[in-house]
Amino acid sequence: MTQTSEAIRDAYRPVRPGFLETLRDTASEIATRRRLILYLVRADLKKRGADTVLGNVWWILDPLLTMLVYVLLISIILRTDIPAYPLFVFCAILPWKWFSSSVADAVTCITTRERIIKQVNFPKVVLPMAAAAGGVASFTFGLIPLFAMLVLLYRDHLTIWVLALPAVALVQFVFTLGVALLAAAITVFYRDVGNVAGHVLRIWFYLSPALYGADQIARLTAGQPAIGVVYHLNPFATLFESYRDLIYDGHAPDWLALGLVLLASFLLLVVATVVFRRLEPAFAKVI
Amino acid sequence: MADAIDVRTLGVRYNLRLTRKNTVRESFKNLARRREGPGHFWALRDVSFRVPPGESLAVIGPNGAGKSTLLQVLAGILLPDEGAIEVNGRISSLLTLGAGFDAELSGRDNILLAGAFMGIPHADMVARMPGIIDFADLGQFIDAPIKTYSSGMNARLGFSIATAVEPDVLLLDEVLGTGDATFRAKSQARVVELMKAARAIVLVTHDMSWAREFCNHAILLEGGNVVAAGEPDDVVLVHEERSEIRRAGGQPDRLPPIVDRGLEAVGSARGGAAAAS
Repeated sequence: MTQTSEAIRDAYRPVRPGFLETLRDTASEIATRRRLILYLVRADLKKRGADTVLGNVWWILDPLLTMLVYVLLISIILRTDIPAYPLFVFCAILPWKWFSSSVADAVTCITTRERIIKQVNFPKVVLPMAAAAGGVASFTFGLIPLFAMLVLLYRDHLTIWVLALPAVALVQFVFTLGVALLAAAITVFYRDVGNVAGHVLRIWFYLSPALYGADQIARLTAGQPAIGVVYHLNPFATLFESYRDLIYDGHAPDWLALGLVLLASFLLLVVATVVFRRLEPAFAKVI
Repeated sequence: MADAIDVRTLGVRYNLRLTRKNTVRESFKNLARRREGPGHFWALRDVSFRVPPGESLAVIGPNGAGKSTLLQVLAGILLPDEGAIEVNGRISSLLTLGAGFDAELSGRDNILLAGAFMGIPHADMVARMPGIIDFADLGQFIDAPIKTYSSGMNARLGFSIATAVEPDVLLLDEVLGTGDATFRAKSQARVVELMKAARAIVLVTHDMSWAREFCNHAILLEGGNVVAAGEPDDVVLVHEERSEIRRAGGQPDRLPPIVDRGLEAVGSARGGAAAAS
């Protein structure tokens, strides 16, 4: 190697974009590729409906059947004393389906697109974006059986507060997107994440106040307030409670707690975006 | 006028510890092995060349020389680990036959999806849709899911999409033989048409007649280095002689890498000298 080539190398050494630049670039990429995200979500929806007799009806049936399982188990066999248990548990199943399906999709979204990633230059961030957005669609469809239940069976639970659902959903979206970005990027380097994700999600669900109320946890941990604080480090403790405040109890959610979750979710999203962008150049080499 | 493509001391490094389906367990094993040998290898190193507007460059070389990696860098799929590249104009790579297809979607939907992956504006894609459908010649299948297609139909649709937009800089990677004889003739005519329209072309090929016929410069890549550069006829000659030695089971003499910038710096004399040795 000649000295001159060493000098030329130094002159053209690639520079890594800074923190704010990374965020700005990502935002503009998402803006210019929003149609690609839309297509990916639509393709995903079409695919799930395709080849089944009931097609898109599954979007409505799916959360209902899950609800039925828990109602059978908790309400009938274990005889819980929570009134209107089907509605109670549905308030948690609906947002959880969104979160868990988004994360499950995000885990595989990069690795299953190996061919196109190696052959076309496009911002990979659209893939986990689409995974997170696809979950929104399932959530939206799930609102149909929710309102049907409220109107037909639990009219006394129906209040004006259901109109505040988008606010809670927005907080959940920010959190979901952050988790999706991280999960997608890390899975490329450690395929184990794919195996672990399912189990983590299941434990996460049971540790969150989904099948039971947060007040039951409060009763259990009456003597140790520290455990209650730790319990609420789980964003889904706050999220499930907020959904339930609006749908089941018909009153305002704990806006402060929700605000804190939103803040934490934004921080997570920023960190996840930067991590994703730092790892992104290596995707085409590693997968 | 600015060069269509300007590549300066380009280096692309693969981290051997990270590549290929890693698990945590393997990482630990790798950690233990860390001291043994280099953990990376250079797929390309010190590659410098430029393609002025209106010119076309043939990239030839044995398998594993780094030809496809070079195209991936030019297409922006891989980032340089060393050096810099500059590509002026809209790039289109024909690396992409059917890569973005979604088997469940119809041909029509896949055209839009592929266009969105390639970053072609929606209005453009809609305007080109009839032309694409016409060229792919799939009949009613255009509205059927891609999974019902034969592999030939798949490739035809992929080719039609990839060649639908006239790029300023065209990257070609051995996509010249697609489908049946009729379609192959049609697609070759299309490629020639695109090559005439493009401001610059980089063609990776094992077909030396293409390199001679369509390119006015050539580089020979071996082991990630440019080892010969100049007139296509001369470079092809060097490559063919070295291939001949390899076929006979021998190992041709190592050529020193050319690290100088620009094609004009290396004439055919270099190729001739190498061929003589």
